[in-house]
Amino acid sequence: MTGEGGEGTGALHLDEETFRRACQRFVQHSRTLSDGWSWEEVKGSDEGYMRKTVLVPGRTIAHPPRDAGCGPGEDLDTLGQGEGQDFQDEEEVEEQAVGDEEQATSETTSAIRYEYHVLYSCSYQAPVLYFRASMLDGRPLSLEDMWGNVHPNYRQRLLQGPWDTITQQEHPLLGQPFFVLHPCRTQDLMRPLLAAASAENRSLNYIVSWLSSVGPVVALTIPLTAHSGAECSSGSRGARWAESQSGGLAKETPSYRVR
Amino acid sequence: MLCDWCRYVRVQLNDNTGAFSFLTIAGGLIRTQHKSNVCSFVTRRHSLCATWSYRSMADDKDVLRDVWFGRIPTCFTLNQDEITEREAEPFYLLLPRVSYLTLVTDKVKKHFHKVMRQEDLEEMWFEYEGTPLKWHYPIGVLFDLHASNTALPWSITVHFKDFPEQDLLHCPSNSVIEAHFMSSIKEADALKHKGQVVNEMQKKDHKQLWMGLQNDKFDQFWAMNRKLMEYPTEEGGFRYLPFRIYQTMSDRPFIQKLFRPATPDGHAHTLGDLLKEMFPAAIPQDDEQMKYQVIIHGIEPMLETPIQWLSEHLSHPDNFLHICIIPAPND
Repeated sequence: MTGEGGEGTGALHLDEETFRRACQRFVQHSRTLSDGWSWEEVKGSDEGYMRKTVLVPGRTIAHPPRDAGCGPGEDLDTLGQGEGQDFQDEEEVEEQAVGDEEQATSETTSAIRYEYHVLYSCSYQAPVLYFRASMLDGRPLSLEDMWGNVHPNYRQRLLQGPWDTITQQEHPLLGQPFFVLHPCRTQDLMRPLLAAASAENRSLNYIVSWLSSVGPVVALTIPLTAHSGAECSSGSRGARWAESQSGGLAKETPSYRVR
Repeated sequence: MLCDWCRYVRVQLNDNTGAFSFLTIAGGLIRTQHKSNVCSFVTRRHSLCATWSYRSMADDKDVLRDVWFGRIPTCFTLNQDEITEREAEPFYLLLPRVSYLTLVTDKVKKHFHKVMRQEDLEEMWFEYEGTPLKWHYPIGVLFDLHASNTALPWSITVHFKDFPEQDLLHCPSNSVIEAHFMSSIKEADALKHKGQVVNEMQKKDHKQLWMGLQNDKFDQFWAMNRKLMEYPTEEGGFRYLPFRIYQTMSDRPFIQKLFRPATPDGHAHTLGDLLKEMFPAAIPQDDEQMKYQVIIHGIEPMLETPIQWLSEHLSHPDNFLHICIIPAPND
């Protein structure tokens, strides 16, 4: 299963119908876990998406008004280069923030409301994670805030190419601004997971595997109990929702119950 | 004389050669030399397909040029509610159809900044008759979708406050536009070649595509974009066609699905075939009055035009074929 477009690509592609079925099973299961996922239909069409909102603690950067003076554009441009080292070391970032207080830029810790949408991309034949975030007073978070909130384990990756990792894009069904975790590498990500599953002759819910892998990048965790312990290395990467042995996501499987 | 059908095309008959020249097409294509004896633009719909049938392959390259150099005369006016220190004069620009509003309006920003106080300046955004303009759609798409049958110049209102967070993407720097542009190209190539062409390119090749657009360098852009337009001859087209169909009648921003350039037995799909599947109401039934106009780059291509040809020649630099469907004007 190595190489682009080699054998096995058939299994890598997720068609829309399979996506929908996998989402429905995921939502059903989420209900039994009270994990908050729902399926939203787009009115007047047969399309839809999976949705969840959560409150998470996070850091935001308080800015002076947008576009004033030199504008935030310069900040964005330098993030990928000069500030690289700072980002790897959180303490340094905070120290700097304290030192910069006079410049009206400060970091605060508070609750952030995240809204996650899982959509199907027919171009990539893969699921795509859209999300937006706001403070409790409704103020939306900026792209820089989102980059700043990326899990530390993923910063290295983000810094290598922030502009092809997370950007703001139009939600293709709602037409509103959302952030998106770029899907172009989804198949690379899924390849080893699918290969492992097929080697062990397990069936696997694509959505479960994918979401538990990419979700932690943007503060989305999938509350799982690793059912056999040995199989999933947990930790920041997030244990996968125990992919059921054959037979799909049987509700009875005790390993799905959260504690 | 003006083309009596589309009123954008000024047509002149060259007495010596009997050929027509299209001098200016304010809202659409510009400076097309047309060497046939029949002006298909005038006799039927203003249509690229008809000219194509008279053109040789070499002439097809002219279409790329015409698309690239299409310009829309635009008048920018400051929103009345903005606080100014003195009166803000309107600002006139010829906007390139294939570019993005935020990429070509530095001068507009500077112009209005001069009459405003520093503390009143937030991110600039644009509005046309109450609709915030999405900078991430190509300029030509915005015009065709919202202002097709209105008088020129296109009148756009400029805002520096109350950014509509629910409608518009932020665009604080050209890096944002570049990221958006490149992600469209990657998505289009995922459809056309499973992403293989764009992935085989080097970083400098990607830069060349972007710099070509940013600096309005047709040759620089097409020297690289050519590769994205290739396909194996035996397949007769791309794997899937990157297209988006826009219409203002619903909340849904656009229609985008998988569509192949030909039927399984090798018949070329046409623009009409695409619409039949994606938006059947756009195709007029017999004797029925046309309810919708189907517009690409300011013109209405004939529904018989092969969709693969349209994809290769009328796609925007982002490699998508952007199709606007608007209610037909009742006159």
